[in-house]
This record gives sequence, C-alpha cells and structure tokens, in this order.
Amino acid sequence: MKDHIIRRLFYALIIAWGVTTITFMLLLASPNSPADKYLANLSTRIQDPAEMKAAIEARYGLDRPWYRQYGEYVANIARGDWGWSFSTSMPVMKLIGVHWKYSFQLIALSMIFSSVLGILIGIYSAVRQYTRTDYLATFLSFIGISIPNFWLGIMLILIFAVQLGWFKTFYDTSLAMFSLANLKALVLPVITLGTASMAGYTRYVRSATLDNLRKDFVRTARAKGLPERTVIGRHVFRNAMLPVITIIMWDLSGVVFGGAYLTEVVFGIPGLGRISLNAVLAEDYPVVMAITLIGSAIVLLTNLVTDIAYTYLDPRIKYD
Amino acid sequence: MSRLSARLGGVRNALFLLAVLGLGLILLADILLVDHILDPWGYFNLFFIITALLYGVYPLFVNRRLTRYYWERTRRNRIAILGLAFIAFLTLVALVGPLFIPDPTRGNIGEEDMPPLGISYEQSFYDADSGRIVSQVVTGTWARPLGTDDRGRDLLAMLISGARISLRVGLQAILVSISIGVIIGLVSAYRGGVVDQVLMRFTDIMMTFPTFILLVLVVSIFDANLNLIILFIGIFGWTGAARMVRSEALSLRTRDFITASRSLGASDSRIIFRHLMPNVMSIIIVMMTLGIPSVILAEAALSFIGLGDPTVASWGQILKAGQESLDTTWWVAVEPGIMLFLTVLAFNFFGDGLRDAFDPRSQV
Amino acid sequence: MPTPLLAAPSPEGPTPAPAAEPRREPQGLFLSGTSAGDAETLNWILAADSASFSYSGQTMDSLATYNTQWQVVLRHLAKPVEVSPDGLVYTITIRDDLQWTGGIKVTAEDYVYTLKNLMFSDWLSYTYKEDWEEMVNGEKVTVRPEVIDDTTFTITRQTVDPEFVDNAIYGLTPYPKHIALKYEGDIKAFTQAEEFNNLGYTGNMGPYIYQEWIRNDKFLVIRNPDFYMGQEDGSPHFEEYEIKIFGTTAARHAAMEAGDITYTGIDPPQVAKFAKMENINMYHNPTSGYTLITYNLRQNGWEGLKDKSVRQALSMSIDKKAVARSVFKGFADPAFSFIPGPSPWFTEEGVPKFGVGPLYDKQRARDMLREAGYGAREVDGRPVVLGPDGEPLKLVLATNSGNKQREDIAFLVRQELGDLGIEVEMKLVPWASLLRQYMNNRVPGSDQEPRFNNGPEAVSEKEWDIMVMGFSTHPIAPSGSSVFYKSDGGINYWGFSNPRVDELFERVKSREALDIEARKKMYAELSRLIAEDQSVDFLVYPQAHPGFQANVDGIEPGMNMGYSYHKWYFLQR
Repeated sequence: MKDHIIRRLFYALIIAWGVTTITFMLLLASPNSPADKYLANLSTRIQDPAEMKAAIEARYGLDRPWYRQYGEYVANIARGDWGWSFSTSMPVMKLIGVHWKYSFQLIALSMIFSSVLGILIGIYSAVRQYTRTDYLATFLSFIGISIPNFWLGIMLILIFAVQLGWFKTFYDTSLAMFSLANLKALVLPVITLGTASMAGYTRYVRSATLDNLRKDFVRTARAKGLPERTVIGRHVFRNAMLPVITIIMWDLSGVVFGGAYLTEVVFGIPGLGRISLNAVLAEDYPVVMAITLIGSAIVLLTNLVTDIAYTYLDPRIKYD
Repeated sequence: MSRLSARLGGVRNALFLLAVLGLGLILLADILLVDHILDPWGYFNLFFIITALLYGVYPLFVNRRLTRYYWERTRRNRIAILGLAFIAFLTLVALVGPLFIPDPTRGNIGEEDMPPLGISYEQSFYDADSGRIVSQVVTGTWARPLGTDDRGRDLLAMLISGARISLRVGLQAILVSISIGVIIGLVSAYRGGVVDQVLMRFTDIMMTFPTFILLVLVVSIFDANLNLIILFIGIFGWTGAARMVRSEALSLRTRDFITASRSLGASDSRIIFRHLMPNVMSIIIVMMTLGIPSVILAEAALSFIGLGDPTVASWGQILKAGQESLDTTWWVAVEPGIMLFLTVLAFNFFGDGLRDAFDPRSQV
Repeated sequence: MPTPLLAAPSPEGPTPAPAAEPRREPQGLFLSGTSAGDAETLNWILAADSASFSYSGQTMDSLATYNTQWQVVLRHLAKPVEVSPDGLVYTITIRDDLQWTGGIKVTAEDYVYTLKNLMFSDWLSYTYKEDWEEMVNGEKVTVRPEVIDDTTFTITRQTVDPEFVDNAIYGLTPYPKHIALKYEGDIKAFTQAEEFNNLGYTGNMGPYIYQEWIRNDKFLVIRNPDFYMGQEDGSPHFEEYEIKIFGTTAARHAAMEAGDITYTGIDPPQVAKFAKMENINMYHNPTSGYTLITYNLRQNGWEGLKDKSVRQALSMSIDKKAVARSVFKGFADPAFSFIPGPSPWFTEEGVPKFGVGPLYDKQRARDMLREAGYGAREVDGRPVVLGPDGEPLKLVLATNSGNKQREDIAFLVRQELGDLGIEVEMKLVPWASLLRQYMNNRVPGSDQEPRFNNGPEAVSEKEWDIMVMGFSTHPIAPSGSSVFYKSDGGINYWGFSNPRVDELFERVKSREALDIEARKKMYAELSRLIAEDQSVDFLVYPQAHPGFQANVDGIEPGMNMGYSYHKWYFLQR
C-alpha cells in the first residue's frame, strides 16, 4: 500500500510536469504576446507600439529565448517561487493564497449539498422504485443535469435577490468566513453550482442501490430477518458507495474548473475561477501555469484518495 | 450466414475505401486545382456520413432482429421516445427551417425589443427632438411571434438558425472527440504493450488537465471562430471515450470469436474493423448521445464569458446578449435558455434510454 | 494623475477657490459599481489601463482638474500655471502643505525627479512619455524640467504648444523621490516595490487612503483625515469608498436596482427604467468620446475608398439617427466632427452633415458611386453595386469583439451598406488582435517594426476596408487629435493625408495659436476639412448616464461631475 502511494505520487509528478509543459507551449504559441494584451489597454493612446512592446517584454522578462524562460520557470516552481503576476501586480503565491478560500468554501459547501442530498434522494428513490416519488425524483434529476448552471444562477438572482430581496445581488467579501451571514450569502451560489452534481449523484446512487438490492447478500440479509433499515444502511449503502465515490471525485475537477468558474462570474465571487479567467485573457503566464498546475494536482490527489477509499470500503481490492 | 456477412463486410470495406479515396481526390483537386470546393468541415461531415451509413445504419438494417430488439427496449422507455421525438423535430427544423424564415441576422430598425405574442412591454427611448424619454406600450404580434431583440432581429428566425448552429456544434464536436477516442482506445487495447502505455499515459495527462480552463485558454489565444471552437471542444473531450472503448475492447479481445478469427489468420485491421468496432458501437452511440448536451453547453458557456464567435448567432450567443437586459427584455435570454435546456434534456432522456436498451445491467 | 484623455489654457480661465462650506461629519460607505474590469497595478506610473489610474487617483490628486463647466480647478497647484510671453517656459507653483506619509514635505524636487528620472528614463518606459515630448528639427526630445525653489519648478519647451498645459501638466502627479531612489534603475524591484503597490506614500495628497484591494472583487479606500483640502469642510464625507467589480453588467444593474451599491453608470438600454425609479437619481451627461468608422485608404483597402466621393457616398447611406436610436436607445447625438459638443472649440459651421437629413440618401449615394465608376444593377429586386470588373462589390468590416455597442453598430453598418447594394463581411476579433492584425502596419518586405502609421506605403497584416472605432478628444485641447488626422500622426492607421490639415495641426501648436480667436478659426477649418474628406465617418457622440441612490447629495451635475466627488455626502435619514 505504501509503495503504491509512493509510486502514484511519483507518477503524479510526471503528469503534472506534462500538464505545465503543454500549457507553456500553448502560451508560447499564442500570436498575441502578453505585451500585446498590455498595449491593448492603451487603446488608441500610444503612438509607438513597437518601442513600447519591446519595453514591456523586457519588463516581464519575455525577451529571453523560450527555453531559458521555461527552464527558469520549472526551476522556480521547484524552489517554491511561482513568479510575479503582471496582470494583478502581486506574487502568484500570494494571489492564490488570497483567493483560494473563496473558491474552496463555495466548492466545499456545494459538494456537501450535492452529495448529501444526492445520496439521500438516490437511495430513497431506489427503495421506492416505480413509485410516484421515484418518477418525480428521476424527472427532477434530469432537469437538474440539463439546466445550464450560469443560466440557473442568473434566474436565481433575478427571482430571489432582485424581485424578492431575500439575498444580496452579489457576494460580499467583507463578511467573516465563519459566520451565518456568509453562509446565507453562499446559498444561491451553492444551489447554482451544486444542482447539476446533485442531480447526477441522485441518478448514480439510485442505480447503484438498485444493483445492490438485487444481490444475493441483500436477499440473505433480508431472509435472516434483519430490519429493512439495517439492510439498506449497512449492506446496500456501503456497497453502493463505491461507484458513487468515484463519480463524486471524478466530478470534483469538473466542478472546480467548470461550474465554479461560471458561478463565480455570475455571483461576482473573487475565487480562483475569476482569477484564472482574467489571467487567461491577459495571458498572465505565471498565473495560468499555476492554475493549471493546481488544477491537475487536485485531480491527481482526488484520484489517489479514491484509490485509498476503495481499499477501505472494499476489502477485495488490494494494491501491492 | 457468417460467410455471407463476411463477404458483405468485404464489399462494405471496399466501398468505404472507395468513398474515402473519392473524398481524398476531391480534397486534392481542392488544394491543387480549384479553390474551395468544400470547407474542411464538409470533408469531415461527408466522411462521417459515409462511415455512419456503412458501419452504423447498414448493420442495423442487416441485423433487423437485433435492431428490433433494441428498438423494443428503447420504446418501452416513454421518456426516451419523447426525447427522440424532440431531437427529430429539432433536426427537421434545423434542416428545413432556415428556408422559410427571414434573414435572422438582419436587424429591423423601429422594431427593436418587441415582446413575444400576446405580451405587453413598455418600450422607452430618448427623443432628442423633444428632449425627453418617450415610452410606449407595445404588444407582441403574430408577425414576430417570439418577439425581437435589441437590434430588432426576429427571435423565431434566430432560434431556428441557432438550432442549426447548436446542433452542428454538438454533433461535430462529439464526432471529433469520439473518433479520436475510438482510435486511441482501440489501438491501445489491440496493440497493448508500449503503445498502450504511451497512449494511456497521454490520456492521463489530458484527463488531468482542467478541461474548461484549457478550452478557455486556447479559444482566447487563437481568437477562435466557431469552426475552431468546435474543433477544440472535440479535441479536449476524447479521454473518456478512449478509456471506455479501450476497456470494452480489452474485455472483447479475449472472447472466443476474436481469438478464433485471429487463429484463422485475420489481419489486424480486419479484426479491428470487422469485430471490435461493431461491438463497441453500442457504447459509442450512447456516449455520443450523452456527450452532445455537454458540448452544446460548453459552447454556450464559452459564449457566456464572451469567448464565443460573435459573428454567429448560436443559442449561447443570443443568451449572452440577452442576459444583459434580463430584467427588461427578458424574453431575449429566456427563449434561447429554454431551447438549450429542452435540447439538452431531450438528448439526456434519449441517451439514457439507449443506454438502458443496450446494456441491461445499467438501469439508471 | 494622468487621465487617459487627450489637451490650451481654458478660454474662460481658472475659477476662483470655492467658498468655504459647512463642516460635515463623515459617515457611511460609498459603493461604486463597475464591470469594466479590474486594474492591473496601483504602481500607476507602470500602468496602461484606465482602471489603474482611477484606483490610484482616489489617493492622489493631480496638479489640477476641470469642473463641470470645463474650467480649470487647482488641486496641488498653489496658483495657476504661469506661461512666459514667448509661450515656452511654464512656471509651476505647488501648495506648501502637501506631505508624503510620515510627514515628509512634498517639494518641487519630487516633481522634477518624477519627470526626469522616472517618466523620461529609458529603464522605466513610462507609458505616456509622449505627452512630454516635442519635435525639434525632426527629432523627438523631452521637455526640460528645472527646480527653482521648494515649491516652484519650471518646464521649458523649445516649441510653442498652447495646449501643453492641458495635455500634460495638469495631470502630473509625483512619485516620492525618497522612496523611488531605492529602486531607481531596477525595473523588477520597482515593479514589485511594496510601497508603490500599496500606495503607502500618499500622505495628505488625496481624499482617501488605500485600505484593501481584492483582485476582481473590490478596491477599498478609507477617509484621509489629513486630506489637504478637507481641513475646513471635513471632506471627504464618506468613511469608506469602495469600487466594486462585477462580472457582468446585468449583475451590476441588478445590484443598483436592489440598492446594494451607491453609484454606477447605467447602460443606455436600462436608462429609461432607472430614470423612473424614485430611489435613484439619474444624470445624462455628454462625453468627450465619439464613435466613428474609418475607411482604409492604404494599399490593401478597396481602391474605391481612395476616391472622396465614394467615401461620401458610403457615409451618406448610413443613418446616424438610426445608430443613436437603435444602439443607444436615443441616448447619443449624431456626430459630424472630431471635436465634441461640450468643447469651446466646437462649431457646426460649414461642416457637412452626412448621414442625416438630405445627406442621408441611398439613391443619391448610388448615383455618386456610378459617377465614380461603380454602377449598380438590380438582382432579385435588390440593388447590387458592381466593381469595374462587373463583379459585385464585397467589403470587409472589422472591429473588436466584446464591446456590445460596437458590435451592434458594425451589424447596423453592414445592413445599411447591404441596402445600398454592397455586401459586407464581418471580422469581429478581440482588441489585441485587431490592433496587431488590422491597425498596425508596415511596408511589405521591409524590416520595420509594426506601428499604427509606418508611412504611406505601409499596410496592415490583414485586409480590411471599414473599421468601427471609438476615439476621444480633450474638449479643451483638441490639438491632441493630430495623432489621428495628420499624415504622419502616430495613430493614423487608416492612411489619411491632407496637406492643409497637416498644416493647420502644425499651426494650432504654434505662437499664432496663442490668440484664441485665431485658434478658433483653425479648429473650424479643421472640422470642416476632416468632415468633407470623410476618411472617417463620425457616427455618434455617446452619453454617460451616472445613476446614484437618492440619498447621495452634494453632486454638481454635468460632465466631469466626479471632479468634486470628495464633496458628496449621504443625506441624514
């Protein structure tokens, strides 16, 4: 098991290297350099863009050959210096240090919201298969996965913040992180971000539960006269969790860098999503690289966690 | 029976090769002799129509009993049929609709911000002559049943032409990713060894990428127009398909009929095309149907953050333009939103039904 | 702080210091909403974007500004700038009560240091250096600043420019010499300097002090109790002032409607709705900008465009009132000149009004095209204008994507030209690409670096014929527009050339232009010539629509209303 983890970590390192390298290549391939993006701000004010462009490239260290930039970048990453973000004028580490928590609280709450509700509804729906509740849950879960989440967010703001006035129209960063007010401010964003995942989990849990309900050990347990609650809770639930955990972990990266991104834009949450969107548009190399690196690290880590969770939940699986 | 189908397969492969050769010749002529016979997507589409006819529709036709079996299974799922009906309707609208509507890109000065049929809306604008804001209540009419946007473009016309664009985005991007996925998955499973290792590690890297950021990055870097956006969405979406196809093919590889045909001396390509392909076809079809909605949503999301192709009125673009004035001329954003939602829902319904039909084990 | 506007002493002259007002107790948080994007840096001398200047401007005033009547209002200046009779030497006297953080006195030395060692230096590459440069014997040289005493310095030019004081001097803000010395010459250290990135030096020089900047979320400043102008009346009257950044304009408008923010600019489609709300006060102000289309007169543009009558014909078929009505919901005025309405130099005399009234006439336009050799033919009941080879004409219209108004205008122009009989192909590309591929140009085959104007032979990388664009003119100092309309103007990317225009732009920057009446005549002739030539078709002057919650008072309505924002206050409930 320990060997396995070490091997996986080593492997993760190689993948992370691959990811950053590809990102770097893409940035190099861009026809517009960051200096072009900087000059674009000047609009029609500056008369000699050629001279200015050279100066800006020198300022950002982009005038050196690409392999030196790349080499230095990799070396700096290894040393823990992630560079200076020129589109926001602060060290990348500090930038991420400030903004990760806004994304984290949103994603964490939304994962809790979607997995708890998804699992409960899914099991309930499976146990009551072919009842009206089941059909309703199935139908709603279809709607949940089909509704574009940025669209849902706008609608929620329009109804609950503008029309009914229950919530503020935007997220207020001056709220203390662990306060009721902050929790309230996150209600709409969490629903926006969590709905699709919740609907997805409902469907997976339902099907996994149904699969297990038909298994022999459930019949045996029932035949032994165990109460239905114990059968579902201990036998069915535990076994149904395996595929569900995979799905949740797999979904996480999509949530972090897909849904959260758009949710942050809609609700004005200054999380990593908005930071990275702006960095991408400004071609702020150091930030873009850092974000992809962190993104892939999250995926790799969740994969590892999934593996380990499997060994605990299913004793049949073993890694040597 | 098996000999006959084998021979048919031979004819089919020959036909396929002939068609591809023909396409190649046109392409060559396009490059060397005449300018622009078909755009690159034209070749892509023709290629897939040929492939789908020969390897998708034809086997269904030959294997009528199996087809009927699947159809019966799908049909039992009423909701899937509902989805299919909507998709069919939408396809029809997308194909022939544009022939019957006015130019959707044309604005009509004086007809801006018209509400849908039967709905009243107070229009206001500043009248420079009188120096004050003039308001008038307008009610939607049959002339513009779904209203107009702020340029005075007819929304019904826009939604119809948008259907064509969004379906095209969905279909083509998914074809790109499925074809890459299938090729990588099959080759990986079939060749095994170093090839498998390299391909699967590459798949891992691509899977590890935060896909949406990558998409935003390339679309922003290369000022992507719609064609490039489709291509990029396709290029970044193949990993799931590759893995699934690979694992399915791996489990098939050891089955008797493959080992048998190999021992009979069948060539690699023959085994891949004749045996592996048809057997992973069911997964491919399900993945395609379930993949289309996410592709359509990805294009809409790109449009929403301002990275879509502004010269093309896809649903996402209309929604993006409309959401700026959602509290006044709400219909401009609500209508494409509903269309997006219904389309995605329909594909999910249908894809789900198909999966159930093809695979009795999964009952989601 | 240099504002990104283009610059003559105001014809009306500086206003006297305002009368003392009653002292008010500061209260509350003023929340200003924007969705235009975040600033790049608070180290403003390195910035290019307007947000960076507007953020740092909260903590630092400049030498002078303009009021709502475009009269000069002194800020850091102790008295109006004195100009020597020959118009070459400017004597600037600053207030003697200005202090850096830590009680260090701001002296003339700081200003001269900022100019000489920072703005004019090679290592820093100050973005707006050109404001301080003049052409002497065909060579670009910087002006010469000199310290006279603690509060006085002079700037000496070699050529006369009556509008230099508006274009450059009034916007000047100093960097603290005692801090900047530490980083001088090292651009990396200067860029990352803590003091500059936290505006930790601004002392009593502005109404607010930097508090917090969360990227893409908010920029928060708190009241400066030492503010040099606030000692009598207690200004500024808000405890805190925050710029809140929204992801979408829809969210910004929603926040305004819900009362979550105090102030924001309302977009034209929303103006009528907000104007009706009782809890919101709306203002309608002119701006110094104008929207226009430029015709490509360079070698890679359609050759027909080189013919003045062809350009006039095209402009004659684009309805400016329709642009104002359809794109701006009426909140814009048809434009015919590069000088905006509020400018004292503005005149309509002799300026042809293409695109309205009798000069909006597609049939006449077609006749003019026919005379120029481009006849029209009916195809399917629609006119089609043909080139000399008998093929239908097709033009390329380029503009930047991501700006809804500009995109809307582009589509409208396409439609108008389509009705005229000319098919238009749209190229909507992001701003950076538009600059690089369509606006920058170079002589083919040469080793020139791409610039906006590399001479008459230069062409852009991609072909285009028409471009929708937005320029702005300093209402007091329109001579800055020479960069657009002179043959060798640095931003004359479309290749316009008229010797008489060149001559007039030289003369408005000369001794004879010191006479206000003479200069007025020159601007009138320039307006007429540029409009007659129609190398550009001015479309509209957009308006600005600031909206405030009704509890904000003390606002002086009009253009530039923000000049006295430190005097705004909340009404007691």
